[in-house]
Amino acid sequence: MVIQQYTITTTPKYNFPQPTIDTTLPQRLIELSIHSLKHVQNQPFQLNQQTFQQNNSSEEHIQTLQPKLQPIPLKPKPEKTLVAAVDTSSIKIGETSTGILIAVRGANVWKQNKSYRYIRLGPFIFHITEENKKEVYNALRRAYFNSPHEHSRQSSPNLLQMPTRIANLLERWLQKMLSKTISNGLILFDGSLTSGIADTPTQRMIEILTTARKRNNVVLAFSKMTSLRFNGYLITDVLLRYKPPYMLEMAGLKPKPPIVLLGDVYVARLTKGNYAFRLDIDKEVPIERRIEAVEKLLGSDLFSQSYPETLRLAHILCTFTANEVIAMQHCIARRYGLKIISRPDMHRLLFGPFGKGERRS
Amino acid sequence: MKLYKKEGNIVQILSFPNETVEKGDYLLIEDVEATKALIVQVIDVQFASIPGILEELLRSLPDGGELMQGEDFDPLEIAPHITYIQDARLNICKIRATVENEGLSPNNSWLPSRSQSAIRKLPIPTLLKLAKIDGKLPIVLGGTKDSSFLTIDASSLDGKLNIITGKKETGKSHLSKLLMLNLIRYKATVVVFDLNGEYVSLGMTADRKRNAYYHKIHVLTPSQNFKVALKQLHLHVLLSILIHALHLPGTSAREFRRIWQSLKERGNLVLRELGEAIRNWRCNQHVRDALFSRYYALINSGFFTDNVAEAMLLEECLFKAKEEGGAIIVNLRNTSSIDRQIVVEYLLGKLVELLTSWKLKAVFLFAEEAHLYLRETYWDDIVTRMRHLGIFTTFITNQPDTIRQNIYRQADNIFLFNFTNEHDLEVVSRAARVDAETVKSIAIDLPPHYCLVLGKVVKDFPMVVKVKALDVKTMGETRLFFKDMN
Repeated sequence: MVIQQYTITTTPKYNFPQPTIDTTLPQRLIELSIHSLKHVQNQPFQLNQQTFQQNNSSEEHIQTLQPKLQPIPLKPKPEKTLVAAVDTSSIKIGETSTGILIAVRGANVWKQNKSYRYIRLGPFIFHITEENKKEVYNALRRAYFNSPHEHSRQSSPNLLQMPTRIANLLERWLQKMLSKTISNGLILFDGSLTSGIADTPTQRMIEILTTARKRNNVVLAFSKMTSLRFNGYLITDVLLRYKPPYMLEMAGLKPKPPIVLLGDVYVARLTKGNYAFRLDIDKEVPIERRIEAVEKLLGSDLFSQSYPETLRLAHILCTFTANEVIAMQHCIARRYGLKIISRPDMHRLLFGPFGKGERRS
Repeated sequence: MKLYKKEGNIVQILSFPNETVEKGDYLLIEDVEATKALIVQVIDVQFASIPGILEELLRSLPDGGELMQGEDFDPLEIAPHITYIQDARLNICKIRATVENEGLSPNNSWLPSRSQSAIRKLPIPTLLKLAKIDGKLPIVLGGTKDSSFLTIDASSLDGKLNIITGKKETGKSHLSKLLMLNLIRYKATVVVFDLNGEYVSLGMTADRKRNAYYHKIHVLTPSQNFKVALKQLHLHVLLSILIHALHLPGTSAREFRRIWQSLKERGNLVLRELGEAIRNWRCNQHVRDALFSRYYALINSGFFTDNVAEAMLLEECLFKAKEEGGAIIVNLRNTSSIDRQIVVEYLLGKLVELLTSWKLKAVFLFAEEAHLYLRETYWDDIVTRMRHLGIFTTFITNQPDTIRQNIYRQADNIFLFNFTNEHDLEVVSRAARVDAETVKSIAIDLPPHYCLVLGKVVKDFPMVVKVKALDVKTMGETRLFFKDMN
């Protein structure tokens, strides 16, 4: 009989996070998930009328932004380089009389030997109430930050922010795992390298980047959306008449404290077409290595509309599809005896065909 | 299972992977409050339209079309629930009847509760009991999917018009043999137009021993042991042969009538005298030529004789069959197209004559590929006049479009085997006792030897049956060139 062996377990060079190692946060997630759901048994719950997925971190205030006039041309380097990416997603799957039911999931994807592989954690389902939100959130922060005093600095978020916050905690943990286990690779984050905001303490982000650097990795953070503007235009719309691939450095970013930028900001246009993304690269990495890292990424990963495939797959793998939401509702209804009720949509009820349903503001 | 939708007489039922439902199955939708239940039959099984399913499938194949390798850490074990939801099925069902006060009614005008109804599979034996598909003269057709037997009543074939159809090598002849032998068992008289000599060994077991039917199977081979003397013939039968099988023009037919009457008056109804009379008859030369050509066609068929003793077997066999049941197998295997028509014209004329005079009670006629020997005007005759006289026909064909539409409309029972061609199914679906969706959806997926039974024999509850095997020597095997080379 042949037992399937994943290369990640046999290749000493690349040792990826596995559920068997350093499971502090997932273990805590499971415990809290089960604990929170036990308190919701046999309650009626209403199907979700609003969903939100993927985390959009608020961007820092910018005082002055000045793009460098000369773009940096890039030449793909077809060297064998490991590319890994992280992304997480959260969704509200229903409401109970006392709170909300949410699910979070995270994925690590890496490209190795021309094929993509993944580790996906979750979904973890939580029942969050006004009563337990502080307990849940602080317990997870403690598990992630590994410090008993970490929770005292910040109050717990409001109920609607909880899915994003828990997903952020999971994302940081996955990023930490990658930075600890990969050597000589490229680590792709979704978003920016901004710290000092909720769930992203500067010290912890510095630790992640330092660990990555020590293992000879470079962290590249791609933002799908940006609000940074130059002369009134979004920086990603400032398309120069240069032939891609290239990147353009954005200087003069001075965020207001306590926000700290741990990376230098670039606009990267990596393939033909009108798509460009904000790209943050670890500040502590020398400029030559930064350019080399992006060139290695160009040579190692596939690109579609200027966006790296590894990161795209991480996003795809963690995003919840509609049938998964139904399955999770089915699961908690079966396992915890929750009774599904359909509360009328007040927009529809009041405004009839003019009520388009609740929207996330 | 959950009731999802109803449109017309189609009901859509949602089922989950642990509830195995297949095409052809019967379901009972019980509404306890209404004290009624709906009997529906599954005619198609589809995937339920689950939101996000496309994204889910695309997500699993992003790596150049190959399945992406990875590991899922799923502590709450949500994955089985996802599979459960993704594999949910939508069963398209046709309403067949309502169970009310422990009886069946065709009332489909009510709607069971969507939230409160309990849906379960209806076992075939229960349905057979409810529909009272049994009787004193049982014929076991074969096994149903739930391992029970489908038994019909022989009297449901009595006075009925039946069609057995399906593509080649699906088991049509096998079923017709099964029906025929069971009818013989109940002392019925059966006549078979055996085009390929498939029925001639029904009196033998597969290992060439005599079986229980040996003495009841009478094989008549035209021009060998099946002949007819002119003296036995009625003029109208011979004229039918001349006009319909040999296409004799009307003027010539009139002259023939005069010749025949002249010979009859003189007591000279023999072949040689008929030839002489045509030669010497005072008539137009063209008429004479026409009469001569038909005369030689009759002679060359070898079917006619002057020896009355040689021509008694048909009546003998029919009367024997009348007493103790039996089948007259008319072996048309090595008979030419013209001679086949002559034989069939004669035999049908003879049967009508015997039935009209009540010498026979009724005859079950099995006609294989009838379009090859039955003239146009006989189709209507068979389903109207001849049926009233007591000829109950079963048509067997692999070309459903060769049977006329009005035959399908009046068919009481249809035994439908697999058809892949939609055009063929379209033809069959015109039958009055069949709904097109059932035929098209179920018959297209039938494996060989499985038959969809429709009509009065199953009280209009279409049922799929695997036709049971027969221990008789089959002769329907196709001769193969490469058979012995391997």
